[in-house]
Amino acid sequence: MTRLRLSWLGALAVLVVALTIGSHGAGKPETPTRRAMRLAADFRCPTCRDLSAAQSDAETAKTMRARILDLVRQGRTDRAIRAEIVSRYGSDILLKPPASGVAGLVWALPVAAFVVAVAGLGFAFRRWRSRSTRSPTDDDRRLVEAALR
Amino acid sequence: MTSPIDARDLPTRRRTGVWVAVVIATVMVAFVAVLATRPSAADRQAESPLLGRPAPALIGTAVDGSKVDVSSLRGKFVLVNFFATWCVPCLQEHPELVRFAQRHQASGDATVVGVVFNDSMSSVRKYVSDKGVIWPVVSDPGGNIAFDYGVRGPPESFLIDRAGNVVSKIIGTVRADALDRLISQAKARGL
Repeated sequence: MTRLRLSWLGALAVLVVALTIGSHGAGKPETPTRRAMRLAADFRCPTCRDLSAAQSDAETAKTMRARILDLVRQGRTDRAIRAEIVSRYGSDILLKPPASGVAGLVWALPVAAFVVAVAGLGFAFRRWRSRSTRSPTDDDRRLVEAALR
Repeated sequence: MTSPIDARDLPTRRRTGVWVAVVIATVMVAFVAVLATRPSAADRQAESPLLGRPAPALIGTAVDGSKVDVSSLRGKFVLVNFFATWCVPCLQEHPELVRFAQRHQASGDATVVGVVFNDSMSSVRKYVSDKGVIWPVVSDPGGNIAFDYGVRGPPESFLIDRAGNVVSKIIGTVRADALDRLISQAKARGL
């Protein structure tokens, strides 16, 4: 192996290690407050339209953040905390709808619509191509000749 | 005059057009059917994960200083009404709540408990004395009762049956007659 290749491999290894450490926060443990804020970002603020409970200053969002922090301090898992909030507000309190059940249609329908649109376009292009390569009939030629006379 | 090429294409185009029209008509008919079969806004009940489950604990201090615990009201239907004095629909529904409370005051089979939603206590005290509120009104300073009930904004009401389970959630203004219908339906189901 040449020296150049070795240096490229070394650079790649450094990049992978740096990205891994960077994406895992260098193994620093998450504080309860940070964890509560991360979880709050998954929920809508109950009284606002487009803000998460982490972003909003509404009283209901503050209450939700405080309750999430309580649950974090009680040692509940992320899944248990999400379930606790959904058990009160329903699944539409989640900013990202679940990918199963009827709510899963939110994810499935755009994909289905895209597939149908691509298939429709393909079908239309095929029809246009076959139409453009169609050779004129004797009747067509006679009509053109008559028009040019 | 139609050219031979147009004449050849016409049946296919007509078929496609007919199919598109049929699909659009079907979607429109389905849409109208869905809208026509929905209950009117006044009687509409909201979805809630709490329906059919034991009502969250509601213990607090009323604006007159008395202690309120909804679990002590077992044996009667309880309408938990989240309201605020700044909420116009809450003011609009107030006469209906009064009618409902008065209708059931003698028989004692149903009662109302108000919960203050994000409001100042001075405004609520004035509201209670001005409007002649005849049911307990509980303060909820941290919004914890509203959180437990999954309330998004007033007015929201929850009908709790005699065993302490949530029967209905109503978003928006309530009507006394509609509440009585809900109670009759619940009684018919043995609740």
